[in-house]
Order: sequence, then structure tokens, then C-alpha cells
Amino acid sequence: MGVRKIDVARCTGCSICVEYCPMDVLKMDGKSQKAFIKYLRDCQGCFLCERVCPENAVYCVPVYERRIPLPW
Amino acid sequence: MNNQEHETDVLVIGGGIAGTFAAIKAREAGAAEVVQVDKASVGRSGCSAFAAGVIQAFSPDEDDREDCFREAVIKSHFLCDQEKLEDHLDDSADRIKEMDSLGVEFVKTAQGKLQRQVGRGKFTSIMFHGGYQMMEAMRRAASRTGVKLVDRVMIVDLLTDGGRIAGAIGFNTDSGEVHEFMAKSVVLAAGRTWLKTRRPGHRNLSGDGIAAAYRAGLTLTGFDSGGVNTGPAMYDIGPGNNMYMGSGATLVNADGERFVEKYDPVLKERTELHTLSAACAIEAKRGKTPLYLDMTHIEPEKVRLMRRVIPSPMMMWERAGVLAGDRFTRKIEWVTEGPSVRGGLLVNRRYETTLPGLFACGDAMPSSGTWGQNALAGAMTSGARAGKHAAEYAREVSPPEADAEQISELKRQMLEPLLRKDGIEPDQVLLSLQEAVMPYDVWTLRSEERMSRALKEIESIWRDQVPLLKAYDPHYLRMAVEARNLALVSLLLLKSSLFRQESRETAREDYPYMDNINWLKWVTVKKEGEQISTSAVEVPLHRYKLKPEKGKDLHPIWRVAERQGIIRIEGERVKWA
Repeated sequence: MGVRKIDVARCTGCSICVEYCPMDVLKMDGKSQKAFIKYLRDCQGCFLCERVCPENAVYCVPVYERRIPLPW
Repeated sequence: MNNQEHETDVLVIGGGIAGTFAAIKAREAGAAEVVQVDKASVGRSGCSAFAAGVIQAFSPDEDDREDCFREAVIKSHFLCDQEKLEDHLDDSADRIKEMDSLGVEFVKTAQGKLQRQVGRGKFTSIMFHGGYQMMEAMRRAASRTGVKLVDRVMIVDLLTDGGRIAGAIGFNTDSGEVHEFMAKSVVLAAGRTWLKTRRPGHRNLSGDGIAAAYRAGLTLTGFDSGGVNTGPAMYDIGPGNNMYMGSGATLVNADGERFVEKYDPVLKERTELHTLSAACAIEAKRGKTPLYLDMTHIEPEKVRLMRRVIPSPMMMWERAGVLAGDRFTRKIEWVTEGPSVRGGLLVNRRYETTLPGLFACGDAMPSSGTWGQNALAGAMTSGARAGKHAAEYAREVSPPEADAEQISELKRQMLEPLLRKDGIEPDQVLLSLQEAVMPYDVWTLRSEERMSRALKEIESIWRDQVPLLKAYDPHYLRMAVEARNLALVSLLLLKSSLFRQESRETAREDYPYMDNINWLKWVTVKKEGEQISTSAVEVPLHRYKLKPEKGKDLHPIWRVAERQGIIRIEGERVKWA
């Protein structure tokens, strides 16, 4: 719950972020040959994609994408 | 859908530290072929890659072994497997040395020694430069050792051949292709379960390994143990509590009072997780929320160390505007977290389960397995041993026979959600589960009435929603399987927790005493037809070094609360003042 954008101008289509994503959230777009956010709701907010991107094309935020109940 | 068939000597399921050590050690012990499979990718999945930069690893040079042993047993309230704890203490320093030589970057002093720092608990921890760095090095080491890595294949069920393990079946989460693995022995290292609640990097921990083992008829234990933690209420940031508390973070209630020290005057916020969480929950019950974690006073030097050890969470705090340079700028609203499930397979000293050829390690074992709440340390030592024993077993047996009927039925069940046109979203099941189990007075402060109510809800989710889970594509199939596994684990949690009629790791209002006469037992669960059969086995204390006093005492949490006038005990029940 946190991957906010992949900057298409910076993305070179190396697919490292897609390879690393533990939740299969990111996929390669067949046409543009660049990574895109396919399953945003399932993002687990780990920031791994942003950390591994060699082009600084990925930006994440620490915000919940779905409602998670509070314990009280 | 196409099929891919694999044959191997040892199959390791799970790509965290336990699984990766198991795979490396199985190769080193002579297994010709070792396959390690993960639903995401080996080393970048599970909780190891998102670990909070510290390992509470015993060091023979720095720590007193007897003291460490005693502390671990006492903190487990005598549920700890003391024989495996000895093995863990024997191996701990060697595994760290090995990780160092495999390229894991530890924080070291100018003299090149491992730097230690206080964290949770009495003993110091060693630090590394974040879980991602650690697991990248371990993944490379596994590849170098000749382990065949299979990424993006989610194992759904185990295959058996008569009375022994035969392999596992799963699917590729991208292509949907079915993968059948035939293996002489299998190491299950995919056990951690987190109900996709708070905590980044922990929402792929859906108990897949333990759910598969349950369906295969294995005996599991420890689901009553009540894995708990605390974390930020509004920010999706974590983990890192060990570093926060070790660096001097304080927890205050709505009145600005530091309340944890009442329950643990020595360690204060560095107290173990059950005490910390129970203290927070009692404040909630008293109406003293919101609670806040305060790190604004932590010295810049310590903040800089935190940046090295927990780089991702620190990046997140910065982005949330809570961290600026070397200072935290404001207090953070804090809540109890969980459940973080700590149940797993019952294993012997060779880490072998009740099914010959199936081994379990890391969080696929119960937390009583070795080292209590520091899962990472226990995972590295249990993984290494399980891998070695799995290789030894594989050497002695012939390849298993494939049972075509079993494979075809498991495949049908696995792919069923893809065929459903109308059905229920995995998200819907997930939210219903969380709403039933997450309230602090269900999971952290327990009573039969509230747990039974939650169990009823989970049973209705299991009956009415789970069979209708639908999937649009292989990604959603993964989400559907995860939701089903989480529903199953929630059932195991509540059944086991209701069964333990005492307060031990977790405090119960209706059984406030810790009962060393009747409950020095491991609560076990097993599939009997369509029912969950719950039972208990005695902790074999007669074989163990440390024995508790037989007796029945008010749980330490309740003792403090009573002394503070927060509760009183009436008719052996907690009454809130």
C-alpha cells in the first residue's frame, strides 16, 4: 500500500521492480515495455521497488491503500 | 493450463532466512538436487527481507549462556522446547559467522567486531544493514551453492505417497501454469502468518505452509501463543520497534503518563512483546487512549544508526514528515498490532514432522520451537539443521511415487476460484476476518465470551464466504488462496486460544491465573474429517533442565493491574475497577 507512481520518462523498462515486488503488484506493459502498477490494492508498502530502481523512477508513500480496522 | 513437472532430492518451500539456510545446508550435506520455491521470489519475500535490522543472536564471547537459556525459558513461561534451545545456542554464533562470510553486511565497530546494541529484552542484539541487503546476500549464496531457485510459484498443497511426503503442488502467479514437484524430502519454511494488517512488508505472510500442512493432516501447535506487537495507528510504517525501543523511545498514554514501566520497571518499553501489548490494551480498556510513541528526544547519533539498520522504515518516517534530518519531530499515535500468528508444525529434534520426510523450520515451527519471540535468530539455526536432516533423509530413500488421483483432485481444488463467474472478492473475506480477530479485547486481552463470538463470525466466513472466493486471473488466485489460508489460520487461532483455560503468554480475564498444575502443555490442532480436533500434549519437562514451580499464580500482568487498582479478582475472574 504505497507505490504511488512510476515515472515513465525515467523508466527504462529494465523490469527490476517487477522482479522484486513481493506482491505481484507491478507488471511490464507489453506495448510501452515499461513497468506499471497493475494491482495497487495489494501493494504491501515495503518500498522495495523504490529502493531497487536504478533510475529513481519509482515513488512510494507510507499511506494505507485500504481500510484496516483499528484495535480499539 | 499447462503443467510443469520437477523432480528433486530436497524441496524447500519458502524464500526467507530459514528456507535459504535450509537449501544451502541441504546442498552442503550432499543433496544432489535442491529446489527452493517461493510465491514471490527467494530472498525478497516472507518477513526476513523486511526484518528490522537486528538479530538477537547469542554470542558465547559476550553473553552468559546459562543466563540466556534461563531468560528464554522464563519468557516462554516454560513452553519453550529446551532441547532445541540448547541446539540453537550451540549453532547461533556459527550461523552469524557464516552469514558474514557469505556477504551479509553487519554493523561493525572500528576494530571490525560485531557492534551490539540493546533492544527488546535483557540481552543485546547484533545489527545488519536491513533485511533486504541480508537476503540479497543469502539469495546469491544459495545460487552459488547450486540451489535451483523457482520464483513466482505459490505452493498450495503437499503431496503424499502413503505414509511419507512426496512433494508439493502450486501455480505460477503470473502465467497460472501448474507446477508439480516430486521430492524425496521437503522442508517447509513458509509459516509466518500476519493477517495483512498494519506493518509494511508483512502482508504476504498468509500462513501458506502451515495451512497446506494442516490440510495434509499434520499436527500443529502453538496457535494459542498470541503473537502480538505494537505499531503506528495511522502511518503504514514498520517494522523497527526493537531499534526504536533500544534507542530510548517511550510510550505514553493520553495523560502523558509512561505506563509500561509499571509492568516492567527494569526494561520498561524494552519489555517483551506480550507485556508491552497487554499494557497498551489495558490503557485502552481504561479509556486512556490515544497512546503515543515518543522518539523526539532520541539523540541524532542514535537516529543515524537507525538509518543504517532500518533504512526502509526511516525513509517512510521521513516521507510522512515525522523525521527531519537526525530528529523525530513529533509523537506518533500507537496501537496494538496483530495477530501475528506463532503456531507451526510439531517437530522432533531433527526438525522432522509427524509425516516422514517432511521437515519444518523458522516460523513453520511454533514460537516455542527455539528462541521465542526473536524469530530471525531461531529461523537461521532451525533452517540450517532442517536442511541438513532433509538431505540425510533424501539420501536413504527412493524417489516417491506420484499419486495421479491425488494430484488431479488437488489441482482441481486449487484452480476452482478461476472458474467461478460469480463469487466473493478476497478483500471482502480479509476485511471480515480482520474485524473479527483484530479488536484488542479479542486477541490481546482475552475472554471466552469475546473469543467465542469471534469464532462464530470466522466460522460463518469459512462456511459462507470462503467456498465462493473468486479469482479473475493468477494474481487474484494467489489472493484467493491467501484469504482461504488466513481464514483457516484464524479458526486455528481461536480454537486453540479457547482451549487454553489459563493466562500464560496472553492474559485471560476469565482465567487470570497461570496454572502450572494443569497447563504446562502445548495445545495441538489436527484435521479430523472436516472438523478441527483440538488437544494438548504435556511439555516434556521431565527431560528438561529447567522446571517451573508447580502451582497456580495470578498472571504477572494482572498482578500489577490489581496492585494499581485497575482490576480486582472476584470469583477467580478479572473485574475492571
